[in-house]
Amino acid sequence: MSTVREILKEHIEWRHQVFKLAKADIVKTYSGAALGWAWAIIKPTITILVFWFAFSIGLRMGGKVAGFPYILWLIAGMVPWFYMSEMITQGAGAIRKYRYLVTKMKFPVSTIPTFVSFSKFTVHLFLLGITLVIFALFGYLPDLYLLQLPFYMLAMLMFFIEWSLFSAMLSSVSQDFLNLVKSIVTPIFWLSGIMWDVHKIDIGWLKTLLMFNPVTYVSTGYRNTFIYKIWFWEQPRSLLYFCIIFLIMTIAAVWSYRKLIKEIPDVL
Amino acid sequence: MSKTVIEFKNVSKIYKLYKNDKMRLLSVFTKKIPYKEKKAVDNVSFKIEQGESVAIFGKNGAGKSTILKIITGVAYATKGDVNVDGRVSALLELTSGFDPEFTGRENIYLKGQLSGLRDEEIKELEETIVDFAEIGEYIDQPVRTYSSGMKARLGFAVNVNINPEILIVDEALSVGDVSFKNKCIEKVNEIIHKDNVTLLFVTHATGTAQEFCKRGIVMKNGKIIYDDDIDAAIEVYDKSIRKKKA
Repeated sequence: MSTVREILKEHIEWRHQVFKLAKADIVKTYSGAALGWAWAIIKPTITILVFWFAFSIGLRMGGKVAGFPYILWLIAGMVPWFYMSEMITQGAGAIRKYRYLVTKMKFPVSTIPTFVSFSKFTVHLFLLGITLVIFALFGYLPDLYLLQLPFYMLAMLMFFIEWSLFSAMLSSVSQDFLNLVKSIVTPIFWLSGIMWDVHKIDIGWLKTLLMFNPVTYVSTGYRNTFIYKIWFWEQPRSLLYFCIIFLIMTIAAVWSYRKLIKEIPDVL
Repeated sequence: MSKTVIEFKNVSKIYKLYKNDKMRLLSVFTKKIPYKEKKAVDNVSFKIEQGESVAIFGKNGAGKSTILKIITGVAYATKGDVNVDGRVSALLELTSGFDPEFTGRENIYLKGQLSGLRDEEIKELEETIVDFAEIGEYIDQPVRTYSSGMKARLGFAVNVNINPEILIVDEALSVGDVSFKNKCIEKVNEIIHKDNVTLLFVTHATGTAQEFCKRGIVMKNGKIIYDDDIDAAIEVYDKSIRKKKA
């Protein structure tokens, strides 16, 4: 518990710097390239178009989903994935990337995952804005269900900050761990029901297992909001499983932080 | 009687050395993994008072930099008590924590913000820092393109100008040319006398240390073997080097 208090205290005391560094992280990501901010859109757009082409044209699977065009269904689930995939890898590498904050000055290490996450989250908000515009262009205007989106966004943000703290601490001790994380991103993508409909699975145990997957929970949550029109309290079992995973992640993050905080400056 | 700003009580720092990274990762999960211990700092005690300027001498691996890191708050002591009272501005291993992707100017702001200064305060200091660093057009280039001398100059310029209470300088003056070195010495002398700044200075250049330090600490294998007057400290240090050669 004292570790949790310490982490929260550091966040409150350094909140101004956390926001400054988040801003700096965005600037750093996009300012170096000639096209700058455009890259924040280009990469996701290409990915979505390629998948749309492969599935809709190539595999001829792209029928309407719950009355929505396939491409919209794809976008609704992919948009949170871009944030999550960035956080899985770059969240795990966060402390290594900002090692100068650890080894060259006094800086609260626990806030590094937080500002990296805020930086990625800003890009996510930007993409979300574009998503709303695209839906509007197809004639689907925002409705009441959009009100639950902040819930999923907060769940996603918090979960991946914790993931990042947990994995970044381990990655700073071991490059092996970071490589392991990088190699499981693609499997996670294909196993988490981003490209296929989780609702259609009829193997009971597999469905239960998928409910424990936070990536599935968030991605499906976005689709429930945009496409299926389901409120989050209408699926209490999914919510409960997500809470369990969230709790486990919290414990893992605090454990890894407490275990390694004194060792990290010596090995980075 | 001035106040004690840095106090070490029986401080030791032990590094755990594992065979490789894999072993280190496994050691997080189980205590059974074997490792070797390296005592970088061995039962060290000292007090430094406000306004003092202290030079620390010692061969490579004597534990000087580790002590500075502990004072800065970057590394943690394995055993013992450490008390540091005041805002520390540290120039560790030349770079003082610059983000290599940012320009010199952006780094001035970043460093200022991380030291708790407001943007207006940094704006006031900006000109002074840029002038002091003398790196010309390079101030708007990414720091990764800097030479080590330029990094050290900018680092020094930032650290002495953001109103530190405790200034820590590790080797930074060894890369600058003579005229820049003299300018630094002048500036350090100025802030020591005017603002009552405490200075900790690690170097192999005993002559430079003599110019602003009255007290010298000599370290050997993690222990303090001498701690008092600077001239005598230099003598002890020189002797320990010569012994090695003989």
